[in-house]
Amino acid sequence: MAQVNFEKLISKRDLLHVITGFANAFNTPLEILNKDGQVIACLNTHSDTNILHQKNIPLSNNTYPVMLNGIAIGWVKGDQTVRVFSELLSYLANKEFEKKSLATDMLDTYREINLLYDIADKIVACTEVIDIARLIIDEARQLIHAPNASIMLLNNDDVLEILSAYGNEFIPKTRLKRGEGIAGNVALTGIAEIVNDVASDPRFVKGHNIVSSLLCAPLRIKDRILGVMNLSSYPSYAYSARDLKLLNILASQAASFIDNAMLFENKMKTEHIKAHLQRYVSPQIVRSILEDTEGNSLNPSKRKITILFSDIRKFSSVCEKLAPEEIVKYLNEYFALMVEIIFEHKGTVNKFVGDMIVALFGAPFHCDNNEIQAIKSAIKMQQCIKSVGSRWIRDNFVTGIGITAGEVVVGNIGSPRHMDYTAIGDEVNIADRLQSLAKGGQILVERNVYHATKDVFKYEHFGKITIKGKEKPIEIFSVIY
Amino acid sequence: MPKVLIVDDEPHIRLLLEQTLEDLEDKGVEIITACNGKEALEIIKKESPDIVYLDVMMPETNGYDVCNAVKNELNLKNIYIIMLTAKGQEYDKKRGEDSGADIYMTKPFNPDVIIAKTASILNIAL
Repeated sequence: MAQVNFEKLISKRDLLHVITGFANAFNTPLEILNKDGQVIACLNTHSDTNILHQKNIPLSNNTYPVMLNGIAIGWVKGDQTVRVFSELLSYLANKEFEKKSLATDMLDTYREINLLYDIADKIVACTEVIDIARLIIDEARQLIHAPNASIMLLNNDDVLEILSAYGNEFIPKTRLKRGEGIAGNVALTGIAEIVNDVASDPRFVKGHNIVSSLLCAPLRIKDRILGVMNLSSYPSYAYSARDLKLLNILASQAASFIDNAMLFENKMKTEHIKAHLQRYVSPQIVRSILEDTEGNSLNPSKRKITILFSDIRKFSSVCEKLAPEEIVKYLNEYFALMVEIIFEHKGTVNKFVGDMIVALFGAPFHCDNNEIQAIKSAIKMQQCIKSVGSRWIRDNFVTGIGITAGEVVVGNIGSPRHMDYTAIGDEVNIADRLQSLAKGGQILVERNVYHATKDVFKYEHFGKITIKGKEKPIEIFSVIY
Repeated sequence: MPKVLIVDDEPHIRLLLEQTLEDLEDKGVEIITACNGKEALEIIKKESPDIVYLDVMMPETNGYDVCNAVKNELNLKNIYIIMLTAKGQEYDKKRGEDSGADIYMTKPFNPDVIIAKTASILNIAL
């Protein structure tokens, strides 16, 4: 509430100048007294200065009040004519009061604007969602009375969880379903609320927190509600429409900043995952995995896929020819070329075992004609080795490839701390066996692969082998390319 | 009695600054206002205030000119001049420095900063 300091008002030089001029014109000596009756200005007639001086000159005992809002804030003493001075001063005091009221309101609004500017400046430095929440809570508490404050976000199960909170009575475990309690209701309707008597509100969910009065605003971006912002008080407090308006402004700022930060966090996470995934699977598959919001694609399941094993012949004797660092350099070049070809044919590199490559076609994502893709890939791999720029690789990394197809279990297999995306089943073991039989440059396939692709590729019969635990021998074909 | 002069052509900014400095007024600081550069210079010559809050963008005599007149022509170097410029409005730092301004602040100003700055220049305990 604005107040007028009468003594300060009287001491204003412009005002004093005018009053002195009037006193001279009226030829009326007068005294101006404060509300307690003490003289604060004594105006002699024909005084040639505006300066206050207190002299004891005989005056009539008439005193007239200077009134402001029904209260005497001072007095004017003199003869009857000084009544008009009291009226003038009352009028000026009222004007001063109005001006002060306006100025106080304006300054409050100005502080709010300044704070919002300030938030915008500070928030730029926050990239983490939690930091933004803390900042907004701190700033809100400067503007609005709030012993307790919190920002709650809706999680994937549509439950409000506390992201950041202030005050002793807020317990981070507080959880509210959308629609449950007052905060839950605000998250449902998207309309901010003032509840000054929480206990009488039937929606209120009694928890650990002792709350008497509450302000709650949604964190909303267009039609999407991210959560809510709560400010509360115990003992009870009369929150005003102005408080609610301010909270709404803050909440909408918070919403857009939090949303941006979350998008940024997700983007960073995705980029991180992508960078890792890209080492194992082709970019298309990375994209499919990232788009697979259900996350089922990597769970173990039985699938019909094609498995490719490739291995360098007599690798251990090759290794003896050069220093290990040299070998690693050539091996990396070789793997880079092979992996590129496998990815080109929609294959996934399952693992490297020494110099051996295990690749899957048709997992984690279905691909049509995965047998054809596998053989195309194998042929290209063999051709690539023969034409590679490095003579040393051409001469020494002579590779045999084995390919099988059938139902195996594929998916993430391992312990929660270390998972491998891998395949398990007879066909996997057979492919390994075929690879070991293949001579340098050879691609060996099982009968079912031959059947599925014999119209596309030329084959010659290679022979039959028996495998432990299998009654029938396995028929093998060699790809002519 | 220390004096603070507020110079701005916008009445609401004058009012805001006056209201901001009210607590200091209660501590004996006299606050004077001027609504243009010419009036400001007249008051400065007569009253020699301790601090001048000076708006940069004013019609006719602008803030730089007032500042230059005070610091360089009248040689009143003891007067502390705070230039006020609206956020987003160009403030020519070079011109401010040449004219001898002590600091500049942007509007919307932070009332708490204004109080603290004024009190510290005038050596008044808050």
